[in-house]
Amino acid sequence: MTATVARLRRYGVRPAGAALVLWAAATVTFLALHLVPGDPVLVLLGGGSGANPTPETIAAIRHAYGLDQPLYAQYLHHIGRLVTGDLGVSTSLKEPVAGVITQQLPATIELTALALLFAWLLAGAVVLLSTGRGALGRALGSGLETVAAGLPHFWLGVVLLYVFAFRLGWFPVAGGTGIAGLVLPALTLAVPLAGYLGQVTRGALLTALEQPFVTSARLRGMSSAAVRARRALRHALLPPLTLSGWAVGALFSSEVVVESVFARQGIGRALLNAVLARDLPLVTGIVLLIAAVYVLVDLAVDLLHAVVDPRIRTPREL
Amino acid sequence: MKPPSRRRAVTSLAALALTVLATGCGAGAVATAPLGDRPAPGGTLTYATDREPTCLDPHVSGDMPQAYVAQQFLDSLVALDAHGRIRPWLATSWDVSKDAATYTFHLRRDVRFTDGTRFDAAAVKANLDHMVDPATQSGTAGGYLAPYKNTEVIGAFTARVHLDRPYSPFLNMLAQAFLGMESPKAIERGKEANCAAPVGTGPFIVQKWNRQSDVELVRNPHYNSPPPYARHTGPAHLAKVVWRFIPEPATRFAAVQSGQADVIDALPPEDQASAERDSRLKAVVRDRPGNPTNLALNASRAPFDDRRVRAAFLYSADVVNGLKSVFFGQYRRAGGPLSYVTPDYAGGYENAWPHDPKKADALLDKAGWGHRDGAGYRIRKGRRLSADVLLKSDISPNQLALMEQIQATAKDVGFDLELLGLDAATVNTRYLAGDYDLRDGYWNTNTPDVLHTVFGSEYAVHHGIHSNASYAKDPAIDRLLRTAQATTDQDSQRRLYGKAQQLISAGAYQLTLYPQTTRLAAHRASVRGAALEPALSLPYLYDAWVNAR
Repeated sequence: MTATVARLRRYGVRPAGAALVLWAAATVTFLALHLVPGDPVLVLLGGGSGANPTPETIAAIRHAYGLDQPLYAQYLHHIGRLVTGDLGVSTSLKEPVAGVITQQLPATIELTALALLFAWLLAGAVVLLSTGRGALGRALGSGLETVAAGLPHFWLGVVLLYVFAFRLGWFPVAGGTGIAGLVLPALTLAVPLAGYLGQVTRGALLTALEQPFVTSARLRGMSSAAVRARRALRHALLPPLTLSGWAVGALFSSEVVVESVFARQGIGRALLNAVLARDLPLVTGIVLLIAAVYVLVDLAVDLLHAVVDPRIRTPREL
Repeated sequence: MKPPSRRRAVTSLAALALTVLATGCGAGAVATAPLGDRPAPGGTLTYATDREPTCLDPHVSGDMPQAYVAQQFLDSLVALDAHGRIRPWLATSWDVSKDAATYTFHLRRDVRFTDGTRFDAAAVKANLDHMVDPATQSGTAGGYLAPYKNTEVIGAFTARVHLDRPYSPFLNMLAQAFLGMESPKAIERGKEANCAAPVGTGPFIVQKWNRQSDVELVRNPHYNSPPPYARHTGPAHLAKVVWRFIPEPATRFAAVQSGQADVIDALPPEDQASAERDSRLKAVVRDRPGNPTNLALNASRAPFDDRRVRAAFLYSADVVNGLKSVFFGQYRRAGGPLSYVTPDYAGGYENAWPHDPKKADALLDKAGWGHRDGAGYRIRKGRRLSADVLLKSDISPNQLALMEQIQATAKDVGFDLELLGLDAATVNTRYLAGDYDLRDGYWNTNTPDVLHTVFGSEYAVHHGIHSNASYAKDPAIDRLLRTAQATTDQDSQRRLYGKAQQLISAGAYQLTLYPQTTRLAAHRASVRGAALEPALSLPYLYDAWVNAR
């Protein structure tokens, strides 16, 4: 394989693949929202109880959103609009989808970022502190991770709220601006994730610690802690790094719960409400956003692999 | 009908029994100066509610959360007092034609919308036209105005509304926040802009809507058109209201306990007792008018197409004890088709359907369901006496517990109730198709004409949105309700609606459970004067004041 082909692969296939992912996401969203039973018009007119619209109003809504068109025509219109970069207007919120996303995204990004940071710190601390402590320490650390990974977000969020906001009053109960309002929701997301990351890192670290280079480093007089932190950890980073790519996507979905418990703005809740309202433009817009995030994170993880693992940097021409 | 002059109306209403939160000295200690008993201007009140509207213009769609917040920034043509009487508001007086199909409104001449537009007859026309325009996508206001034909601008401040048939509930409808008056200039901006920030003549102005967080409302400094039930005149005391959305009940309750929110609504029933014990809080609960929370029995198909079977089911349910155990005694039973706070409510039907398993057994035996299978359920020709209860999977644990109690008592007399916990979309589909035996529902409104909406045969639509969930089709009921719409004579109305309640109760179309309620909790140390308005028991913050912080 020549370098040109490799470059073509890197710069040509990736965008084509990304476009394919986005098209598939838009199509699946369209089909899913049309295949599940239910009538978006009913939701638009004020919910199940309390609305008594005239037949003219119902007909006008069907026409306005093209619901009176055959399915293939609706699909072509849907994709055609997206191709031109127009995400459309949310049917339930009567606001441009791009505007809704711009308004909700910052809250989600800061929450995701802080949750990921907390998760790495927690996982790193537990793993580094417990791997050198003999069988008991390892068992304790590993047990802690298993329990943490299994904690449901809803329960954890309410417990953290109860202890740190209701009882101790250290953090605001709901919403809250700035970092104070962000800590509890980020911890709620970070603790279970740290459990997963910790388990994976621990496995990789233990494998690395059995490698000959560790023994030689110890023989040269390096302390056990220094070997773990400076030599073995680098080798143990690849699996949790890959997992973090997945985690960003998983965080987006967990945020639906956390955003509701803590009454925060965010993409997760917007998506949930959009699905309930059968709001095709908004659901599509958010699904495309999440798909794009996956693609970008995947790319970033690949690049980080190259940073962590020098073998990936040099093209293997054999 | 000529109402008394505006001045007399205001003085006679000064004594009106409004439910007012937090009276007397505050017991709680706060960092700032103690909250006085006299209104202090300025300050920000944080109000936390459970559901966020999808559009702030209540003409569009028309769900309760829209009316809640619209009450703070829209005024209405007329107001309803606590006795169900219509009072002047933006209209100083009105004449109703003998056939109750033409209404001439004489308007105040000194009111402006907060964008500077004058409130006048043309504005009234623009508003009513906007509500009935199919493009507005109105489920509530547009539906209520189904008989609307047009509005004639007689003079700058005189508007004549023509309906296509006699419709006496029209004035009651106009008193609801769903039909509040908006600036015609603002309406012309289109749905996107008007949903984000509708413009009224009310005490507050929508400044900013941070979706999924809050709506910021600021005081209208030129406000001069308070409703007759207001306790002061001129601009509101509060400089600002932050209308927060906190969906999680426990979080919302903790927010008011900690003082982070000054007032919350949708106080969870399980927290009401602790709110009442908590010296920092003041709970205010008021029942709403309309058709109470109920299970509608689908009379269009077996087994509930047989009145005897419907009656047996109603007798089987022990609603009183169910409410006691599930809602900690916080909800009273509603026994008749109208909530007791609805105008022309007739009290005789509260106990029309007591828990009486013996009567239920006898009725089922008579209806041909005399045999039981091994599990104790009644069978006829090899078919079990079963009924599908259409429920969303996300109903509250309390509501579900109540349904389970009803299921258990129904089993005692041989009904097999299937509680379907389905996703919202499936529930909607089955509701539209009429594919259910029992369905939960309610209807908040300030007129007994709700009986027409919920039991009128014209709304018993198969395969479509239908407000008549029990598919009641009784020409006698239709006739009574049509006649009531056609008269403005209050004695005749009371008689006609009374008779209709009797027929509906006897028809066993609904297992009525408890009235819909507005449930507020306020933080004593920080807020005074937050009230509930009388038309729909909506929160009303015009008279409220807080510690200026």
